[in-house]
Amino acid sequence: MGAELVTVSCDTQFVHLAWQRQEKELVNVKYPMGADPTGKVSRMFGVYEEGAGLALRGTFIINPEGTLLNSEVSFFNMGRNIDELMRKFKANLYLAKKQAEACPSKWKDEGDQTLTPGPELVGRVHEALQK
Amino acid sequence: MSESGNGLLVGHPVPNFELATFDPVKGDFGAISLDGLKSQNKWTILFFYPADFTFV
Repeated sequence: MGAELVTVSCDTQFVHLAWQRQEKELVNVKYPMGADPTGKVSRMFGVYEEGAGLALRGTFIINPEGTLLNSEVSFFNMGRNIDELMRKFKANLYLAKKQAEACPSKWKDEGDQTLTPGPELVGRVHEALQK
Repeated sequence: MSESGNGLLVGHPVPNFELATFDPVKGDFGAISLDGLKSQNKWTILFFYPADFTFV
């Protein structure tokens, strides 16, 4: 799908190896596990928590041109929904092809209702979503 | 934007970064960079989490 998912924590790559080999939940992991022990990349993305020395739960989608298109950060104690991440990623792929359109909140996959911003849509989002 | 960083802005370019990696598929260490992924015309999804040996 032309995308690289990279997980990142402030652990070293050596700890990543040990964790992936130990934890049975991770046997099917196919993505590279990034090591940010100095917190440099975490700081760059604004997710480094100085007090704890750990990265917050941040998710970022960057297009092939290097532009940041999505940014979502949650505190340590709240997990993320992978379906929602995939929804955002698919919407980005779709919008890269269909630049005049916009994906509303309930958009899930190609073929779902989109909106085309313009004079006809002003004040008529409700009607457009009923089509 | 300062070196310490207040976070990046959506809709703006991300400066290059590099990370050492463990690649479970190869069972080996490696490295990735944003410039490298861009040169392969790839999207990049970064998924930060607090620490290994915790839930994700």
